[in-house]
Amino acid sequence: MNEVFSPIQFDRKPDVPTGRRLAVVSSRDVQQPPSPDALVEMMLKVAQARDRQAFALLFRYFGPKLKTFFLRWTMSSLVAEDLVQETMLTVWRKASYFDADRAGVATWIFTVARNIRIDHLRRHRDPSALPPDPETAMDTVEDGMLGAERDAAVRDALTVLSSEQQTIIRLSYFSEKSQTEIADELGIPLGTVKSRTRLAMNRLRALLEDKS
Amino acid sequence: MTTTHHATDETLMRYAAGTLAAAPAIVVKAHLASCPACRARVGEYEALGGALLEETEPTQMSATALNDVLAMLDEEDAPVSFAPPPLAPVEIEGIRLPDALRGCDIGRWRWIGPGMKMSRVGVPQDPDANLILLKVGPGRALPDHGHVGTEFTYIVSGSFSDRFGRFLPGDLAEMDEDVEHQPIVDKDGECICLAAMEGKMRFKNVIGRMLQPIFGI
Repeated sequence: MNEVFSPIQFDRKPDVPTGRRLAVVSSRDVQQPPSPDALVEMMLKVAQARDRQAFALLFRYFGPKLKTFFLRWTMSSLVAEDLVQETMLTVWRKASYFDADRAGVATWIFTVARNIRIDHLRRHRDPSALPPDPETAMDTVEDGMLGAERDAAVRDALTVLSSEQQTIIRLSYFSEKSQTEIADELGIPLGTVKSRTRLAMNRLRALLEDKS
Repeated sequence: MTTTHHATDETLMRYAAGTLAAAPAIVVKAHLASCPACRARVGEYEALGGALLEETEPTQMSATALNDVLAMLDEEDAPVSFAPPPLAPVEIEGIRLPDALRGCDIGRWRWIGPGMKMSRVGVPQDPDANLILLKVGPGRALPDHGHVGTEFTYIVSGSFSDRFGRFLPGDLAEMDEDVEHQPIVDKDGECICLAAMEGKMRFKNVIGRMLQPIFGI
């Protein structure tokens, strides 16, 4: 994975490359989403050079998305922002655990955010808490596909699913709703939720097996 | 260790999404340690989480959020690498248990019936978790039960068989609530397994009814 990375495509130069503080630039200023390779490059700069500018770019890109992620778990805006900060601080601290061969940046940050959320629930003694282990979060990736290829395959597979199937998958990632509650929310029978979930999972599985 | 009985995709997805309850998650984690195939699938479901995160619509952060975090970085030293402390193996009376049980409160074996002992496992992050270790003698039946919600059983040592086949160390038996099954420990030795229930167990025989109060049901 040490080939030349494509350059980071941003429309404006981050303005404070040397100072300790950076100006806040809202996500609106970032026109193009960075490519997976560009994200890896930023992440490696954070890991190897403790590069604050690269960290700030990651924060601007992922922070607002992470906020939406935490808000979906019915947290207040205040709590959601705290958890975004905690997530990004963990990304900074544990940057050396990031391994581009095993997973893309979005995948890695997702696992960090997931563990932060679980830890947050655990602090509230929620019964659905899972022991957090960010150190081993990457141990799960082990098949032949490289992280980037696998992530790309998964991204592609997701777009091929019908919108109904995507909705079901999204609900199972971004809420603790039971299938009964999902059925109520979508106004469809429980049996339909079950069969739709199964269909979506089978479809996804078939698409991924085609690729590997 | 080659495993032949695996977690379902739905369970692996819930594990990756972080929505599986604490006790089943520990049992699944024990299986993952011995099953590269399921680990790879969890990796895929984590990648799915990453893809969903990337396509998530942004919500405006407060104006000071980035500077606040950058200020926090100032207080950080450079803890780039963590030296993990050496970890003692997890055991019960000299028997090695899955690392997934690290941090859990593992009680002593308690006699619960002829050729059958049980240890209730306390899960610090979930006081209500239904997680137990069972040690059952050769040729004996595991407690006869149906259950509400899915039951997850990981085979630590020995083996048992039921109508779904033979379950060996590293295997995971994942049984839906509508499944009634009667695992019998194989005759060549005792079997130790780690079991979690999402819902409450419904025991049917005498031993099962003896278990009920222990589970606090």
